[in-house]
Amino acid sequence: MLIHVILLSGCWSKKELTELAFVIGVGVDKKGGKYMITLQVVNPGNVAGATQKGGGSSGLPVTLYTSTGNTLVEASRKVSEKISRLTYYAHTNLIVIGEELAREGIKEVFDAIERNPQFRTTASVIIARQCTAKELLSVLTPIDKIPTNQMIKTLELTEKVWGENLNVHAGEVIEILSLGGKEVVMSSFRIAGNKMIGEQQNNLQSIEPYTFLHAGELAVFQKGKLISWMSGEQARGVLWLLNKIHQTAVTIDWQRTKEAISYKVVRSKTKVTAKINNGKPIISVMISMEGDIGEVLVPMDLTDPNNISLLEKKLQQEIQKEVQNTILYAQSKKSDIFGFGEVVHRLYPNEWKQLKKNWNDQYFSRLQVKVNVHAFIRRTGLRNKPYF
Amino acid sequence: MWFQETSKRKQIGVFDNMLNETVENELQQNIDMIRTITGNSTDIVIREFLLGQEQEIPAGIFFVGGMTDEEMIQKLLVQSATQLTIPSSYSREDVLAYICKKIATAGKVKRIKKWHELFLALMSGEAILLIDGVAEALSMEARGGEYRAIEEPSTQLSIRGSREGFTESLATNIAMVRRRIQNPYLWLESIKIGEVTHTNVSIMYIKGIASDEVVEEVRNRLQRICMDGILESGYIEQLIEDKTFTTFPTIYHTERPDSVAANLLEGRIAIFMEGTPFVLIVPALFIQFFQAVEDYYARFDIATALRFLRVLVFFISLIAPSAYIAMTTFHQEMIPTQLVIAVAAQRESVPFPAFVEAMMMEVTFEILREAGVRLPRAVGQAVSIVGALVIGQAAVEAGFVSSAMVIVVSITAIASFATPSFAIAISARLIRFLLMILAALFGFYGILIGIILMTLHLCSLRSFGVPYMAPMAPFISTNVGDTFVRFPMWALKERPHLINQTNVVRQGSNQRPKPTNELEKEGDNH
Repeated sequence: MLIHVILLSGCWSKKELTELAFVIGVGVDKKGGKYMITLQVVNPGNVAGATQKGGGSSGLPVTLYTSTGNTLVEASRKVSEKISRLTYYAHTNLIVIGEELAREGIKEVFDAIERNPQFRTTASVIIARQCTAKELLSVLTPIDKIPTNQMIKTLELTEKVWGENLNVHAGEVIEILSLGGKEVVMSSFRIAGNKMIGEQQNNLQSIEPYTFLHAGELAVFQKGKLISWMSGEQARGVLWLLNKIHQTAVTIDWQRTKEAISYKVVRSKTKVTAKINNGKPIISVMISMEGDIGEVLVPMDLTDPNNISLLEKKLQQEIQKEVQNTILYAQSKKSDIFGFGEVVHRLYPNEWKQLKKNWNDQYFSRLQVKVNVHAFIRRTGLRNKPYF
Repeated sequence: MWFQETSKRKQIGVFDNMLNETVENELQQNIDMIRTITGNSTDIVIREFLLGQEQEIPAGIFFVGGMTDEEMIQKLLVQSATQLTIPSSYSREDVLAYICKKIATAGKVKRIKKWHELFLALMSGEAILLIDGVAEALSMEARGGEYRAIEEPSTQLSIRGSREGFTESLATNIAMVRRRIQNPYLWLESIKIGEVTHTNVSIMYIKGIASDEVVEEVRNRLQRICMDGILESGYIEQLIEDKTFTTFPTIYHTERPDSVAANLLEGRIAIFMEGTPFVLIVPALFIQFFQAVEDYYARFDIATALRFLRVLVFFISLIAPSAYIAMTTFHQEMIPTQLVIAVAAQRESVPFPAFVEAMMMEVTFEILREAGVRLPRAVGQAVSIVGALVIGQAAVEAGFVSSAMVIVVSITAIASFATPSFAIAISARLIRFLLMILAALFGFYGILIGIILMTLHLCSLRSFGVPYMAPMAPFISTNVGDTFVRFPMWALKERPHLINQTNVVRQGSNQRPKPTNELEKEGDNH
């Protein structure tokens, strides 16, 4: 019987590494009512680090394949007309959605991604700003030779140290789309420079690439459709509210000088709670952070505790203003990207049943939000008084 | 001393009938008999001389050259021929009795009547004295000759601990253990095994610690052996082990006297054999093969870390190549993206599937190892140079294998060498190939099936009635302190429970080191 087990089953799921095309990034666009998918496939022999003879570093690290179809699955199967190996999605780390498609709605895109067991729900999702997903995936990048990796790493880094971009995983998007009380918000990437040169090896021959990929504004969705963009401090406000700020820099005025002192946030925590008053929900946000003084452009004595507490107060006002600005903007767009609805749902599940039907239009846009900020200055750097 | 009297098998040789008879009266007749039966073998020394001073009696002394202590025989001859004064009133029988008492140079003297007894004594290196007119012989213990000196054990080296290793001499080996356990309850029993070779085999145990039933079982199994000859303790091991069809050793063997002593103290039984430095120890447990004597000489934290390492190493040597096969052919999603791309790049130029690649490299490595073991040292170096080419950069550059595979093979090899017991390392080698086939067929699922089957098999094994996986299966909580971990010495209060069921406590209750004032306080309480 054991022999039968071995002989009859065979190795149906066996696939050698040389039979696979590793799709590292997937782009989805809509073209003439049909889906167009773009696959960024790794050329293993040409990736730096793989020091096997044969390839060398002359070739390009990735190759693009596109195909169109009525559905994503249809399109992805049709790619086999052009590619000699089985497309393998388990290492797909990035999903790019074209701006046009995003405006039409992204709900349908994620069904195929969630259904396919190969796809990781930890793949990052971004929007191609002012270009198609295909164009975004066609740009060659320096340092991280695989453009997809370049984008993911850029996104992760900038989210961590600057805090105006958000790295969203496919799983999170699916979760938000399937539950109520929160809207999707994700980062975009745009092409800086000439699109045509970006596709060629020439792009990397210059010390400053002619064309490069640039993490851009936050895309704000409503019911799975792209409705607006947020950037700068507004975008950072989103991250404050989502408790995603790790590090960032806040600049405040001092006396008569504008933008005089930089405060480096080292860690920050945001707590969002809800209360219901007369059937109306009230949200209160508590942001507490800790950081150092990074730069002082005016003469001042940092050894004076009064100065420090004054600074802290100013910081709190500054951040409070920033966050409230963001909330107002989101309210004007009627998109609850902060998940306030989710908080209400969690704390008042019974009341939520009534609230959820018209949450965005009726309640969120008129929601009363109290923002409390507690900023703490831990260190002032290696110097106390500036030398000027 | 017990002795195997009856042969279960028909004896060899044409003179078997004559051997059952008794020694003749006439000296000359006896000499002729010895000459006939040994076929005039030139190493049998026959020395005729006149015994005594007053009454001179023709006598002969016989021994095998090279197996006896020639100096002792020389003394014996001088003493009996010149210093011995035999009163004329003595009859020839009296003379034999007199010599038996009088000759002091030999350690052990025995009177022999039968021919087969005489030859057994002669061939085992004793000197035989025959006196004209007496139908009886005197065998005198005069074993000697050249043996390899005591050297450091070559298979079980240790940094700390005794440097002594067993030799090929049974008596020396026994003495080495007895020097470590100076106790009258260290009992020794001897048996001759081998219808032709008459090899001396001894079993040693501590009466009162070792279980009597297991001793009886060992005795029975040894007595059951009926073969023309046993030349190494491996023969005995294969004839007395509980299960033949298993790759796992159910009998432990060691070259170190300290290891034997420690095992005897735990209630195990040692089987010594003439002609080999390897002593068998029964019953053996699976976990024993991951332990080294040094574990007990080093402090417990270090010993525990090393034991974890050894178990890890065993698993690496077991599943490294099969995991490589499974991951690259079934579970590419498990490998980090950067690595999978690097491995894929290396595999681009390799024409074989991962399984063939792995098989090729593993077989090559086994060939190399086998070649290295047997070859003389001078040629061995050439093999290692060629080997480095075959399993190395040259193979990668030739496009036969990927460099990832070279690393996998190397780590497997290193892991296999780091397993402390060769016996278990070699069984891992066999199972490794089985797992590779399973991995090629079913991926990780196959490896898991293989490991489950292996575990089931291990749990079904027994060594002299003791479950092989004890104390894990069956679980014996008091003994777990000396398995994958080693508790501090003072916490190892009891001996392994299944090996000896009665006398288990081996140390006092307050062995934990403490400051003196605390010890005094405890003393007051008691």
